[in-house]
Amino acid sequence: MAKTILAVDDSGSLRQMVAFSLKAAGYDVVQAVDGQDGLDKAKEKTVDLVLTDQNMPIMDGLTLIKNLRGLGSYQKVPILMLTTESSDEMKAKGKAAGANGWLVKPFDPKRLIEVVQKVIG
Amino acid sequence: MKTLPITEVRSLLTAVAEHGKQHLAEVESDLQQTTYLLSKAIEKLGASFIAVHTAVTNQQKIVVALMKRHPFSTDESKQLDMYNKVIAEEVDAAVTGLQFQDITSQLLIRAIKRVNGLKDLLQELDIHGDQIDTEREHKEIVKILEAMSQSLLSGSHALSGGLRRSVEQQNMASGEIELF
Repeated sequence: MAKTILAVDDSGSLRQMVAFSLKAAGYDVVQAVDGQDGLDKAKEKTVDLVLTDQNMPIMDGLTLIKNLRGLGSYQKVPILMLTTESSDEMKAKGKAAGANGWLVKPFDPKRLIEVVQKVIG
Repeated sequence: MKTLPITEVRSLLTAVAEHGKQHLAEVESDLQQTTYLLSKAIEKLGASFIAVHTAVTNQQKIVVALMKRHPFSTDESKQLDMYNKVIAEEVDAAVTGLQFQDITSQLLIRAIKRVNGLKDLLQELDIHGDQIDTEREHKEIVKILEAMSQSLLSGSHALSGGLRRSVEQQNMASGEIELF
């Protein structure tokens, strides 16, 4: 059975490219338009990996991670940040919030899949 | 000059505020239009890219089926493999390139917020300028001008502080990856 990845980003074009790349590699993809939407969808069904942007309206990526880590079912689910942010300060905040990795946009599909496979197989 | 040219100072402040706001409104309008056009362009590009990719994938499947029924020469097979490799590499490059709108839109939104902040600062200049009139004492006018400078300075700092730079990318090369 294909593993499911939750892709959270307020940019429709970015979600489209993430979903395209992950589906081509055999993963199922659930899309969310912001942190709150991501949290709601994560509660509906526990996914195998969360890939989230940082800067989004309503709820940002770091807040989403903190909320997810507060849920019993998401304490060990890998969460990766995919964002334009590249400062060490932001990465440290991500790590402290519970992120397992940091990918700076734009992503290369081949490298994205390599990371996803490394994290969830 | 022993007396301040009050009327001229007021006219200058009003003109700076009015012309500045007028030009900034034009800049904002252009930025909004650019944001909209980029958004529409990426919708079309993304949809076309996926449609082309689906068509090429289906075409490749037909070619593979044909090869089973009518084996190709070694040369033809090598060429086909080469083209498949080129297509895969170009698809990856296109996916990376098609993320331009997500990145540029963040810069455009930041620019629009800064333009709006500048318009507010100019509005303050206009309001302060109205307080300057010929009936006031010299010292009072100096105080108003000092207050205006201070207000502009703090407004400008607040504007910069509220507009943290989230995009440092200078090109569309893929970004770094770090696992914790």
